[in-house]
Amino acid sequence: MRILKIEDSNGHFSVNGEGFVSIDKLDKEGLLNLVKLALTDEIEMDDYDSEILKNEAHRIIYRSVHKKLQELAARKDEFFDKSEREFYEIYEHYKNS
Amino acid sequence: MKKIDFHIHTIPSVRDAHFVFSMDTLTSYVLERKLDAIAITNHDLFDIAQFSQIAEILEVPVFPGIEINMQSGHLLVIDDINRLEEFQEKADKIRAIVKKVEDYVTFDKLIEIYGDLGEYLVIPHYQKKPAISGDELNWILPYAFAGEVDSPKKFVRMWNDSNQPTPVLFSDMRIKENLTKFSSRSTSIDCGELTVKKIKLCLKDKAKVLLSPKDGNKLFEALPNGQMISTGLNVVLGGRSTGKTVTLEKIAEQMYDPLHIEQFDLVQKEEELDKRLFEEAVTRDKSHVEENHLRPFKEVVDSVLSIDIAENEKDVSNYIATLMKSASETALRDTFSNTALFEETTFPVTSDDTLKALIRSVQQLIANADYKKIIEKYVDRSKLRELACELIEERWRQEDEISQKTEVNSLINEIKQELDLKSAVAPISSVDLYGVTLDQIRIDRFTEIVKLLKFEKDIHDEKIQNFRVVAKRSPFKGAQELHDKLARQASFSAAFSVYNDPYRYLQELKCISALPKTEIYKYFAKTDYKILNNDGIEVSGGERSEFRLVQKIKRATVHDILLIDEPESGFDNIFLKSNVNQIIKDLSKTLPVVIVTHNSTIGASIGADYFLHTSKEYDDGKAIFKIYSGYPADTYLTSIDGASIENYSSTINALEAGADAYKARNEFYENIKN
Repeated sequence: MRILKIEDSNGHFSVNGEGFVSIDKLDKEGLLNLVKLALTDEIEMDDYDSEILKNEAHRIIYRSVHKKLQELAARKDEFFDKSEREFYEIYEHYKNS
Repeated sequence: MKKIDFHIHTIPSVRDAHFVFSMDTLTSYVLERKLDAIAITNHDLFDIAQFSQIAEILEVPVFPGIEINMQSGHLLVIDDINRLEEFQEKADKIRAIVKKVEDYVTFDKLIEIYGDLGEYLVIPHYQKKPAISGDELNWILPYAFAGEVDSPKKFVRMWNDSNQPTPVLFSDMRIKENLTKFSSRSTSIDCGELTVKKIKLCLKDKAKVLLSPKDGNKLFEALPNGQMISTGLNVVLGGRSTGKTVTLEKIAEQMYDPLHIEQFDLVQKEEELDKRLFEEAVTRDKSHVEENHLRPFKEVVDSVLSIDIAENEKDVSNYIATLMKSASETALRDTFSNTALFEETTFPVTSDDTLKALIRSVQQLIANADYKKIIEKYVDRSKLRELACELIEERWRQEDEISQKTEVNSLINEIKQELDLKSAVAPISSVDLYGVTLDQIRIDRFTEIVKLLKFEKDIHDEKIQNFRVVAKRSPFKGAQELHDKLARQASFSAAFSVYNDPYRYLQELKCISALPKTEIYKYFAKTDYKILNNDGIEVSGGERSEFRLVQKIKRATVHDILLIDEPESGFDNIFLKSNVNQIIKDLSKTLPVVIVTHNSTIGASIGADYFLHTSKEYDDGKAIFKIYSGYPADTYLTSIDGASIENYSSTINALEAGADAYKARNEFYENIKN
C-alpha cells in the first residue's frame, strides 16, 4: 500500500492507500495510523527528495516521517515477536490446553 | 557408651582468626573431657603430617576429617584412618577451590572429588549456622546419617522429632595455646567398635545417640568438668558466696545463644530513667502498631511526594503565556507554523496496571487447588482459560499501542523542534493539563486525610499479662516532639510553622536531610503508648519490673538456654508464684532453664527437674567450690569427684534457713491460725 508520495512538489500521505492528504495536515492520529500500517502492511513510499519537494515545511515533515516509517517497517518482525513477552508461557499453555 | 567430639579445629583457615595449635591443649582437652574419640575437621583443608602426630600422641581413636564450605553452609566429611594419602589428595582439591571466604564447593564438585559419599561419615551443619539448606540439603541428606546442632535444646528437639535426622552436638573448638576454657559440647553414642561404618550404623538409630551416657537426654554436660544439668528445669541452691552466680556465668559461656537475666537486672534503679526506658522499650516493641495504622496513609504520602506542584504551576503559566503570544502573532504565521504538527501535543503513555493485576487474579483462579471445587461450581475452567488468553492478548495490544505511541511521540517532538527553528512564530509550550489537574485533586485529598489523622483516637488496645497497652493517636504539639521522634540532630521549627498546611508541611519535611523519605508519613500525627494496670491507671515502678521480667522470660524460647539469677531480688512471692513459676515451668519443656534462688516459693514450689547445690568447702585452709547435683527425689546429691551431701538437709538449709527455723515458722503460722 502506498502511504507517502510526492506530487506537485509537495508531500502527501494516505492512511488507506487511496485518499491522499497534504503532509502539512498530518497530526498525531494520522501519524499513529501510518506507524500501524508500517508495522502491519507492505507499504510503499516515494523516496525523500529535497530537489522535488519545494516547500520547506513539507521537507522537514516528509523527511522525518519517511525515515521513521522505513525504520519501523524493517523492524516489523521484532516488533511482533511475542515470545519475549510477559505472560507468554502461560498464554501458550492456556491456549493449547 | 562412647563420648565423641567430631568437630575440632587445629589449623587456622581463611575463616578463622589466627591461632597457634597446641598439642598439650588437645591432650588436656581429651583427658579432661573424658572423650573416647575425636575427629580433626579443619576448614577446607587437611594436614596429614599434623594429623599423624596427633593420632600418634593421643590414646583415643582420631579420625581424619574436613569441614567443607558448601554453597549454603558447612559440611563435615570424616573418613577412617586407613587411607590418609587418598584423603589428603581429595582435601587438596577442596583447598584449591576454597581460597577466599566467599569461595565454595558445589555439590557436583563434591561428588567429583569424593566419588561415593556413602563411604564417608557426612554430617551437615543442620540446626547450626551456617546451615546446609535448600536443594543442597536435599542432595546431601541421603548420605548423611546425622545433622549437627549447636545446643542441647536443639539436640533434644530434633531427637524427639521423628521427621528429623539424628542430632549430634560437637565442640567446634579451636585448639590453641593457653586455652583453659574448654567446650562442654559432645555426644554419647552406643557403639562398640569405632569405625566410620559402625558409627554410621549407630547414628541411624536415634536411641543410640544421646546427650548423656547415663541419663539419656534428661541431662547434658553443661560444664567442661562434666557437671550435668537437666535439659528441663534446674534449680541452683546454696549459701552466699558459694559460687551460684559464677556457675551461671560458666554455663552461659558454653552456649552460643544464652538468655542470662542477672540479679537485679530488671529492678527499678532510678524512677525517671526507668520510666523512660520502660516506655521506650514498650514503644519499640509496639512500633508495628503505628506502622500498621499508618500503612494506607504511607501510600498516600508516597504518591503526593512525587508531585511537584511548583513545576506544574510553571508549566501551566508557560502554556498560557505562549498561547497568548501565539494568538497575538497570527500575522506572523508562516508555512511552518501552519502545519498540523507545529502545535501538536504528544500522546500520554501510561501502562495499565489494573489489567496486569486482573490477569494475575484469573491465573490464580485457574491454578488454585485449595478452593478448586468452589471455583468450579460457579465458573467453567475452560472459560477462565479463554478469559486469561483474551486479557493477555489485550495486554499485548496495549503494549503494542504504547510502543507505537512512543515512536510517534518521539517523531512529533523531532519534527516540532525542526519546525520551531524555522518558524518566526514562538511555539506553544506543552502541558499535561490532565496530569496537572489530577495532581491537584491528589493534594486536596491528601490534605483532607491529614486533617482526619489529627483527630485524637485510641488506635490499639492490647492486653499483656495483667496490663493493657493502649496506643493513642494525636496531633504533634510542637517542633520538639517531632525532634524527639526522629532522635537525631535536625530542626523541625520551619516545618512545624506550617504544620496546619499539610502539603507545605510535607515540602518542609522533604528538606530535612536527616529524615528518611520513607519515614515522612510518621510525622503527621504522633502515637503515644500507655501501659495501664488492672485498675486502668498507669503502672508503678514495681509493676514495670514485673512486666519486664515476664516479657523477657517469654522471649527466651528463641535462645538456647534461660539463666535467671535470684529473681526474688526484686519481686514479691505472690507475683512469683502466680506469674513467673508457671511460665518458667512451661518454658523448661522447650529449653533448659537454670534458676538460682534462695526463695522457697521458687525453689520448693516450681517443680524442678534437677537440683544443683553449690558449696564452699575448705581443704587445708584453701577454699574449694563444689557443686552437688541430683534429681529432687534423690536422697543424696553428688559432686563430680564422687562426694555427696544429703538432699533434704541441704535444701531445707538453703530455702528455709534450716529444719529448726522451718519448724518454728510452721508453729508460728499454726499459732496465728489458732
